[in-house]
Amino acid sequence: MVSVSTLAAITVDGLAFGASLALLGVGITLVYGLGEVLNLAIGAFAVIAAISASLLTGEGVALPIAALASLGLVGVFGLVIDRTLLSLVYQSDGEERILLGIFTTLGLAVMLEGILINFVSSRYSLPLGIPPIDLGTTVVTGTSVVSIVVAAAVLLVLFAFLNRTFLGKATRTIFQDERGAQLVGIDPRKIRTLVFVLSAVVAGLAGLLVAARSNVGVGNAFQFTTFALIVSIVGGVRSLVGAVIAGALLGLVNTLANFFIGSYFATIILFGAAIVFLLFRPEVMSS
Amino acid sequence: MNTDTLPGARKLALVAAVFVLAPIPVAGSGYYVGVLTRVLLFALFALALNIVFGHNDQLFLFMGGLGGIGAYTTALIVDTVGVTAWLALPVAALLCGGIALSVSWISARRRFTVILISILTLNLQLVFSETFIGARDLTGGSTGFPYELFSVSGVAGAVGIPEEVALYYLILAFLMGGMVLYVWLINSKYGMAFEAIREDETAAESIGIDVVRYKTIAGFVAGVIIGIAGTLLAREATYITPSIFTFLAVDVIALVVLIVGGIRQTYGPIVGAVVVEAIEAGLSNYAADWRAAIFGALLIVLFLYFRSGVIVTVQNLLDEYNVLSGGGGGGSGRTPTETDAD
Repeated sequence: MVSVSTLAAITVDGLAFGASLALLGVGITLVYGLGEVLNLAIGAFAVIAAISASLLTGEGVALPIAALASLGLVGVFGLVIDRTLLSLVYQSDGEERILLGIFTTLGLAVMLEGILINFVSSRYSLPLGIPPIDLGTTVVTGTSVVSIVVAAAVLLVLFAFLNRTFLGKATRTIFQDERGAQLVGIDPRKIRTLVFVLSAVVAGLAGLLVAARSNVGVGNAFQFTTFALIVSIVGGVRSLVGAVIAGALLGLVNTLANFFIGSYFATIILFGAAIVFLLFRPEVMSS
Repeated sequence: MNTDTLPGARKLALVAAVFVLAPIPVAGSGYYVGVLTRVLLFALFALALNIVFGHNDQLFLFMGGLGGIGAYTTALIVDTVGVTAWLALPVAALLCGGIALSVSWISARRRFTVILISILTLNLQLVFSETFIGARDLTGGSTGFPYELFSVSGVAGAVGIPEEVALYYLILAFLMGGMVLYVWLINSKYGMAFEAIREDETAAESIGIDVVRYKTIAGFVAGVIIGIAGTLLAREATYITPSIFTFLAVDVIALVVLIVGGIRQTYGPIVGAVVVEAIEAGLSNYAADWRAAIFGALLIVLFLYFRSGVIVTVQNLLDEYNVLSGGGGGGSGRTPTETDAD
């Protein structure tokens, strides 16, 4: 029998993993909702942020600065990808654009992994150096608590941006009605660039949070992408709130399953959830 | 000259002859025979993809996983039942066909878009991959086990050729069988139905074409071919591990092969496989570390600029210079084959 305190500690760890999943899911949902490009390279952004931050701290850079610098780096990288690769993808429409988006971002993911493995082949972590938090009866990992807090804060800021600012409202308008947005003078292409950069940074943060709790290597990139995909499928690929809830839930389920029945079943449960949702609610992916 | 039973049979026989002769100059080199064998294997995967994706808009991204199921099932049947691999392979292939059939049937019934099918099958691929690693009792996990079925060495010894060459001819036989099946399928009523459905699904349905039935049949045929190709892929490696059947190792390569050669082109999979394996062989000599990077870049460039493939491009070029009059697709199709196979 598992004690209540162990269960509480696992729950916190699960939510921390869920926080990273939620960020990844939001990253993929933002771009798909706005431009119908399913960014299969999103895991690469997460990994690039995690590895560059880890390398920077290794060089003696303070952790917060290293984290911000790495997020800036993936932001700039996202901008470059958007201006080059995605500009070409956006030239086509409808189903062809979606298909082209899948293949070019898949190619990008394979290419980035292939390039990176030549330079950074080991595994990297980003220890926060936070001691475990003693709650009297339960001891929870400090890093997990920080992960949850940081992710929640960033998501709140993101939602505030989308709901309160003009730019954010313009973004949501395109989500709902691209033609209408154009009619009132919003340039969808510029907003798409902004959102792609935003999604790259959000994915980068997810990578940093994972690296804070475990090791991250180039080989994890595709795994992160698949997690992001699962979250957005379960949450509904156009719903940001859905992505957050699905991320938290799947993180929790995965960590609990990991503890009780083993990691191999835990991963299968994740993919199984995505398949079940695809079969019974296929409308989540349709436009 | 076209016969009534199989249009283009002569061209196919010519291509087969080229491949029958191909190992002779390099028979002494296990490396080059290996390259040629991989050409055949990925042509086989791309052939299946051509049927199910090219002609039926069902993007299967679980070819690696399905191929793995074929390979592991064949080995398991041989192990547990004690029959020869020649009996186990058809059972395994039918199982793969059944899985693909179910996916196609559900997708067609629920009118899944090509994107939805691709994401569904990608998820299945990841489940299969995870299962191969996790189900250690059956698969040996990441360690794997030696895979030397089909008693190829016996046959090779009897005829007096190297084992790899015997295996090459075995796989060639399967590929040519697949090609005959493909040519027959596309020129039959099935091919006509595929074309009608691809043009306009609703219109096809309105003139009485059973869309679900045809898509399911295409899925089944592709599944059977993929199951066989997967088994042969493991046999070629002589050792089976889950890493042979990953998404990046099979699906990405098969996609690149099909697009390079030309989607919906009869010889697209073969031409594509020759080009891709020639690139791969060149890379392994000079830039092995950059293999993945270059294939990723290739995937991007192909889809953005080169979606018609080598065959159509070469044909257009030749037409432009009036070298070729209509109907000479075979000539242009073989040009890259001969130049790249050296």
